[in-house]
Amino acid sequence: MLVSLDPRDARPLYLQIMDEVRRAIVVGSLRPEDPLPSVRELASELVVNPRTVSQAYNELEREGVLYVRRGQGTFVSPGARSGDDERRALGRAVAKRALLEARRNGVGAEELMRIMGEVAAEEEGELAPAVSAPDHGEEG
Amino acid sequence: MSGSMQTGPEGGWAVATHGLRKRYGAQTALDGVDLRVPEGAVYVLIGANGAGKSTTLKVLMNLERPDVGTAAILGLDTAAQGPRARAQTGYVPERHDAGNGWMTGAQLLRHAAAYYPSWEHAYAERLARAFELPLGRRAGGLSKGEVRRLQLVLALAHRPPVLLLDEPTDGLDPLARNRTLSLLAEHLADSPATVVISTHHVHEVESLADHVGVLRQGRLAAQMPRDELQRTVLRYRVQLPEGWRAPADLQAAGAVRTRPGREVQWTLVGDRRELAERIAQAGAQLREVTPLTLEDAALAFLPDEVSR
Amino acid sequence: MSETALHSTPRPRDVLREQLRTVGLALRAPATVATVLAAGVALLVALGLAKSGTRIDFHPELSMVPGIAGLVLPLAVWWGEERFGPGFFWTLPVDRGRHALTRVAAGWMWLMTAVLAFVLWLLVLALLTGGNVLGDETVRVVSLPPLAPAVGIDPAAVRTASRAAQPLFWLVPFTAASGAYLLASALALGTRRPLRWIVGCVLGFFLVLGTVEGARAVSLRLALTRVLEAVFSGPYGLDALLTARSESLHTVVTLATGPTVEVWRGLPTTGDWAAATLLWTAAGMIALWLAARRHGEGRRG
Repeated sequence: MLVSLDPRDARPLYLQIMDEVRRAIVVGSLRPEDPLPSVRELASELVVNPRTVSQAYNELEREGVLYVRRGQGTFVSPGARSGDDERRALGRAVAKRALLEARRNGVGAEELMRIMGEVAAEEEGELAPAVSAPDHGEEG
Repeated sequence: MSGSMQTGPEGGWAVATHGLRKRYGAQTALDGVDLRVPEGAVYVLIGANGAGKSTTLKVLMNLERPDVGTAAILGLDTAAQGPRARAQTGYVPERHDAGNGWMTGAQLLRHAAAYYPSWEHAYAERLARAFELPLGRRAGGLSKGEVRRLQLVLALAHRPPVLLLDEPTDGLDPLARNRTLSLLAEHLADSPATVVISTHHVHEVESLADHVGVLRQGRLAAQMPRDELQRTVLRYRVQLPEGWRAPADLQAAGAVRTRPGREVQWTLVGDRRELAERIAQAGAQLREVTPLTLEDAALAFLPDEVSR
Repeated sequence: MSETALHSTPRPRDVLREQLRTVGLALRAPATVATVLAAGVALLVALGLAKSGTRIDFHPELSMVPGIAGLVLPLAVWWGEERFGPGFFWTLPVDRGRHALTRVAAGWMWLMTAVLAFVLWLLVLALLTGGNVLGDETVRVVSLPPLAPAVGIDPAAVRTASRAAQPLFWLVPFTAASGAYLLASALALGTRRPLRWIVGCVLGFFLVLGTVEGARAVSLRLALTRVLEAVFSGPYGLDALLTARSESLHTVVTLATGPTVEVWRGLPTTGDWAAATLLWTAAGMIALWLAARRHGEGRRG
């Protein structure tokens, strides 16, 4: 499923859901005009109060990320903000987490950046071609 | 809060108790419980055995009369307007008993239907199917888990605006527990309701809950929205200098020297910035602050259960 | 905040109808057994009577069966129901005292149906065997002092009288069953362990009886016999409710001259019966009301 929640995340659940939807759009699991699971479905899947899911969808609708087609459900907006801003925001979140974890293990920010460069170069050879063509057929 | 509640669903708490006190002989079950559940919330009542969870729910169903205090469901006093209050409520009791053991599941559903004008036969059948209930068998011959599921169907089928669930997953195998809670979420999507769940297994309802109440020895040690709980109960990893002693205010917040050595982990309750300041002022070094799961955060209010 | 209409409580008549159905279902098993037995007995009796040519007069008040049925029925009505404690029955959206009374009422309706069937069967029996229904009867009457033996009766003391049919007594099975049912229901509903009370009463009864038999002092025996009479066989006793005193007044004695005959120690009157029935029924209703109050809702204090 494209949305999963982290029980240790202290942020309000609706924000987590919103971020997960945004992430799915950025990563390509959700493309413009794709239908989202209904409030009922997502609530059942995540075992979350449907009001929370509604809240998340309403906020995303207000931001223009989603829109509602009468009688048919909620869909990703055709003009959903391009991946760049979202990706950058997600990247920042990842960076923050990495820095925190690094500090916890006694590794400073600069050292981390150096090491990251090394590791990235190593892994480039091993990984399959990077995920540029999103395989949205798998999920959803 | 004074004891007067307006009749009618708007303008008040969906479920509320005012100063409930109840003793069984020498044992105090409730010692001043002021439950406050807003409309549409999924409120999880947490506490050890004998903390008073079931008693609170029974008082709400007027199955127990408190020594002191009142309770109301949607503004209806549970003792003075018992039948009306119960008409708005779906109740799953602690015990595994579904009325007359000689009735089959199907007969029991039909029987209950007569008491709830808002009962929906089709929905009851759909729920029974979803819960995989053998409706042709006598209720007395059902397993613990099946009885619990039957009780859930009985509670949900008339789409009540308030649900009081006492250990709703008790007796169910792990797979069934998750499915049950999923079905509950689905039900809430179709029939919005205020839910009070009393449970030991907090981790199951982690995602479902949006309000938390922690009962400890008959009183509410904490009662707040889930977000607030997860914001104010955090784990602080702190480095202590030699011969350090916790000042009074930090001790009160839960700071305990648990093991020898320089680094300790405290679960503290309070504003994060303020606590960080106090820790710094006390001469300790704050290394990291991590959030907790709902279960761990709630357990912080039950220090007897926790050994940190 | 959404303004949804509150759900309503069920209508009293729907609750009664549902309780009738439920109690009927609960009674189905014992009722089937009872009907089969009764049918068998009826058949045997009918055959026996046809052969021997005895005439059975229509006196429904003579039978203890309706009274006993009324006494025993609450056991079946409340079978499997948790009368005290947080049972499913009490979680329903109905005033609990009234809900309990509704169930009692439902049981009563079924009881009356059964008694009617029983009375009709007796009528059929009487008609088939050519017994008396509406005509006059000749009866023997003799007055016996309380502790007198039933043998060696002086034949001259036995009078013969003509007794007209009393259709009012045809109501006795219904009132007897109802009165007994009220009392037993009050016990079932009002006490946590009705069996203990029953056993206690039975033991007490036998204790008194034993004292009457075994005690030396005649005054004590007389006094206790008077007590027993007042409770059971007297004008306002239990028997007045159950059989209009027919059971205790109708007896068999042996005359000094030898033959054993059926006699009446006194004749039951409808007036006495009506008074006794009213008394017991009122007592039963009060007891039942008190029992229902135990389950009532509302504030305490």
